[in-house]
Formats: sequence, structure tokens, C-alpha cells
Amino acid sequence: MKEVLWHGRGGQGAFTAARLLGAAASLADGRHALAFPSFGPERRGAPMRAFTKMSDAPIGDRSAVAQADYVVYLDDTLLGEGWECELKPGGIVLVNSVRTFDDPRIVALDADGISAAVLGRPIPNTALLGALATLCDQVNAEDVKEAIRQYMPEKLHAKNIVIIDAAMEAAACQPQKSAQHPGCHPERSAQRGVEGSRAATAVALTVDTAGDPSTAHLRCSAQDDSGAAAGRPAHIPTLRSGTLDPSAFAHSTCFEAGYLVAKNAGWRNKRPVIDSAACTGCLQCYMHCPDGTVYKVAEPARGGAPVAIDLDFCKGCGVCAKVCAFGAIAMVPERDESEASA
Amino acid sequence: MPVNAKTISDDEFFFGHKACAGCGGSLAVRAALKVLGPNAVAALPAGCMSAVGFNFPQLAFANNAMITPFAATASVLTGIEAGLRAQGKKPDDCTVVGFAGDGGTADIGLQALSGAIDRNDDVLYICYDNEAYMNTGIQKSSLTPFGAKTTTTPAGANAHGCLTQKKNLFEIVAAHGIPYAATASVGYLNDFIRKVERARDIRGTRYLHVIAPCPTGWGCDVDETVDIAKDIVDTGLWYLAEYEGEQLCGQPGGRFKLNRNPREFASVEAYLRRQGRFKSLTNEEIVQVEAGRNATWETIRRTWIV
Repeated sequence: MKEVLWHGRGGQGAFTAARLLGAAASLADGRHALAFPSFGPERRGAPMRAFTKMSDAPIGDRSAVAQADYVVYLDDTLLGEGWECELKPGGIVLVNSVRTFDDPRIVALDADGISAAVLGRPIPNTALLGALATLCDQVNAEDVKEAIRQYMPEKLHAKNIVIIDAAMEAAACQPQKSAQHPGCHPERSAQRGVEGSRAATAVALTVDTAGDPSTAHLRCSAQDDSGAAAGRPAHIPTLRSGTLDPSAFAHSTCFEAGYLVAKNAGWRNKRPVIDSAACTGCLQCYMHCPDGTVYKVAEPARGGAPVAIDLDFCKGCGVCAKVCAFGAIAMVPERDESEASA
Repeated sequence: MPVNAKTISDDEFFFGHKACAGCGGSLAVRAALKVLGPNAVAALPAGCMSAVGFNFPQLAFANNAMITPFAATASVLTGIEAGLRAQGKKPDDCTVVGFAGDGGTADIGLQALSGAIDRNDDVLYICYDNEAYMNTGIQKSSLTPFGAKTTTTPAGANAHGCLTQKKNLFEIVAAHGIPYAATASVGYLNDFIRKVERARDIRGTRYLHVIAPCPTGWGCDVDETVDIAKDIVDTGLWYLAEYEGEQLCGQPGGRFKLNRNPREFASVEAYLRRQGRFKSLTNEEIVQVEAGRNATWETIRRTWIV
């Protein structure tokens, strides 16, 4: 059985691609495939995963894929530390990116560029599907195109088939990946479990801001329970570490308010950066943030802005930049920013 | 002291939730709770705000909050209020507040809301109106405006989206003789905050109807939420108004007050064209929308306090 793990953001079409791949792989008699997504109540922009399993025999295991032969990232900001733990030995990562990667196991494809050229906007899913068809023996170009004809609305057929061809051509130009690499330590991967990828993403995207004077007063709000220090407003949900004790809720219908288990930083591909020279302290960004992640700095450093942003929970919507009448907030691509601060 | 950007609580009572980036509904809930404070008890029916706020074990509310059956927001508010009263809590100590979407208010929860107003229970009901059932993937509600594309009112050759007009829920609620009702928009956040504060200090049933754009369902960029919520008021397709019942203003039948009377309306066409959901509307239909707007405003300016 070959297994594919898709990482995308809500709205990018990762599940559509997973489904089309499964459809393509099961066109012939005696071939079987499963495709299903995994996401919680998260919304558009949130990291989500989808899975495709392809086999010559009926597939009984309907659980999520922890280690895959192919791991596909529809957004390169999701490719974080620990990515190799999700890869089987000899597996390949396919990522939508214009960057180049040193690791021979990672194949990069500018799927946004390919799809934008055809559709007018970047919808990377079918481009990556085309590239996968060149990497993977289970499907070929004709299977994928037939899956598109059978499972996509008719008006989308022609353009997506053009995308498939363009992506296959681009992928064929990539150096052949055949190196066999050992997977990561099995104990570690078992421990990471199904939520491993999300945790890895959060780690990779949460840039250490300790050295940045503009966020030196970063409130302890949701950082973690040990960081709950003086000066923190009384009522802000806080991020808890550790596991939940069932006795805390098993005998009651009530549950503790303000209990957070995950940061939302992985939702973001752009981050707001405040220009303290242009900021007048009008607080419009603070008032209008749908997530409450803009906060007042109690004692701004000399020349520092009177507001700062909790980047653990900012989703990068850009409402703050839009409501700023003074142009003091810029939305900077996440990748550039993390490189700049590295 | 009036609540404004300087004086509003630094605390965040709705934080770390899983709403889409740029969600107008979450901005309305966040702003309202910052006014109502830590002792507010919130009740939310099935809908986006409960789906993104309560993800066990995560509870993104810092104050007490619970989920209600879909149709029962106002009834649950009634029950919470009675329970708090039985425990000796004073209404001034804690506001009992409900946050329901347009579907949960104008369709499914309407009879419970009507009942609570009839009993004049001491609760604050806030309807965050994103003009369709967004939580389940964008289906038409009775607050979906004419011409909006949803999955149940698709745009095609014959019909260009929703065929019905937006229900006038504000006046329906006011017709009950409620002590206080008001309309607002997250695009005019200070106005909304002022109305939450005013409603907090009135006893009896209070109703706020706040427009809260949904970038996912409206087909606009995630950073446009506030701008588009301002635009809908500037075009006159929504208005900022208050209704004060007889017990508040002393006038039989109560009175309507317009809070913002634009000298000139912003372009309806530009407002509709910037959203994907209105993409199929013809120019003639846009003229119809404008004519409807003009008729509404003619009545408002003639009969309300402006």
C-alpha cells in the first residue's frame, strides 16, 4: 500500500487533490483507494491534513496516516521542523515553493506559479497532483486527467488538465530522487502521534521574539502557564501545557473557562509589523483585531510603539493594517520575516 | 465614564478561538465581552461562534459561557438569569448575554426570542448577522439579502442568488415593545460598543443586531471585514439606529432614533461588486437594490427621530 499525506490550509483544495488522486489510483479493476481529510472545527486558513491510501487489495485500515510514502505540502510555511518523521524510508516530500531545498528527499515545485498562470489565481492542488503523478508509480497522467473529468465540475476540466501537463513537465525537469534515507527514530515518531505535524508547524513558525525590543513587553497572556507573571491582565485565556487530568472534568458538567491548548500562529502566512515611528497610538488596530492579539504596551520603550502583537495567536488577517489610518502596520510575508530575524 | 479605546478593559474574554482569519462575528463577540466584563454569562447556540469557541478541552472564553440548543438561545438566557437571581446575584453584577447568528435568531431562534421579550426577561440578546448560515457552509437564512449567492440560493442563468429580501428583524423586535433594541456594525465599532454599554445598564430585555461580515461567505479578502462593514452603512443598505421602548422614553409605543444619517450615500454598486456573492447581479438588479434602499430611507427620515 502506498500512502500520501497532504498538508494544506483550509480552502486550498488539499482534500480535493487527495480525492482526485484516490480516484485516479482506483480507476482500473482490482485497484483500491481511500481518501479522507482530517480537520477539527478550524476554518479557512487553518492548517489541515488529508490522506490518500492506494493499494491492490481492499483497504481495511481507515486510520490517519502517520508515516507516508509521499508527503505533500500545499503551502511551504507548513513545512516545519520534524517533517522527516512523517516520511517512510525512501519517501519523498513534494512542496509548493519557489525555494530550493538542500535535502534530496524534498522536491519543490512552484505550484502557485503554475496554477496562477492558468487560473489567474494560485490554487496549487492540481499542479501538485500532476507532479505526484510523475513521482508515483500508482498513477499516470491519463489516470489523473480521467479523475479530473469524472470528479470535478465540467467547467474546470480544461484548465486543470493544462495545469496537470505543465506541472508534469516542471516535475520531470527535477533531478531524480532515488536516495534511500532512513526514517526518523521509530519511538519518537510514535510519540509524536497524529498531532505531530501540527506541533512541528507551530514550533517552526513561532519565531523567538525575545531579542526584539518592539515585543519585549510581550504579555504573558497565552504563552504558557509558567509564564503567568505579574502585570498580566486578569482575564485572558491562557495556554496550558501538559495533559488534562480527567478528574478535572469527569464528575462535572462544567469546564474551566479560558483554557487554550493550541497556538494559532500556524494559520498565518503574513504577519503584521508595526512601524513605531509612524504609529500615533490611536489604538484602532487594538480595537478592531478580531482575535484580540493586538495589545497595549504598558510602558513602551523609548521610541517603541504603544501597541504590540501576540504572534502566538495572530492569524495574519491584516485587518489591523487596513484600519491603520497612518500606514504604520505592514503585512510582511512570514518566510521573509523569519529569515530576516534569523 | 464612557467605554472607548482608552478606557475599555485590557482583558480579552474571547481569545485563541478558531474562527477564520478576519472573522467579523468574533470581533463583535470580543468587543461586547470587553464591555460586559468578567462576570458576564454568555450563551451561544449552534453556530460559528460556538463551533470556534468551545473545542474541548479548549474553551476560548475567559468568562462563563455555554452552548444552547439551536432554537433556544433566548430561553436559555431566561433560565440563566433566573438561576443567578435565585443565587442572590444582582443584575448589576453580571450581564446575561446571548450571541446568536442570523439564522439562530431570525429563523430558528425567533420564537424563543419573542417569548423572552414578551416576558421582558432581564437579558441581553446580541445577533451577529453575517447574512447566511456560515457555520454549515453558507446556506440562505431569512437575513440573507437579495442577490446574495449561497449554496441554497445558487446563482445561475435564471436566478442570480437569493430571491427574497432581508427580513426586517430590528423592527420586528421593536414591535414587541422591547425596552431597548439597536442596530450596529463592526465597521462602526465605537457605536456598537456604546450600544452594548447602554444595553448593559438597562433592565429588561435588550436586543442588539450587529452586522458582522464573513470573508469566507461574502467572497471578500480577509482584511476587508471592517472596511466592508463600514461600507454597508455608508451605502445605506444597513443603518445605525436605536429603538427605545415606552418604559425607557416614556412615549407610548416607544420611539425610533437614527444614529447616523449620511448626507450622501456611498455607491451601492461598488459595495456589491467588491463581494463574490453578488457577482451575478445585473446592473438592473443593482438599480432595484438602490430603489429599495431609497424607499426604506424615505420612511426612516419621515418617521424616525433623525
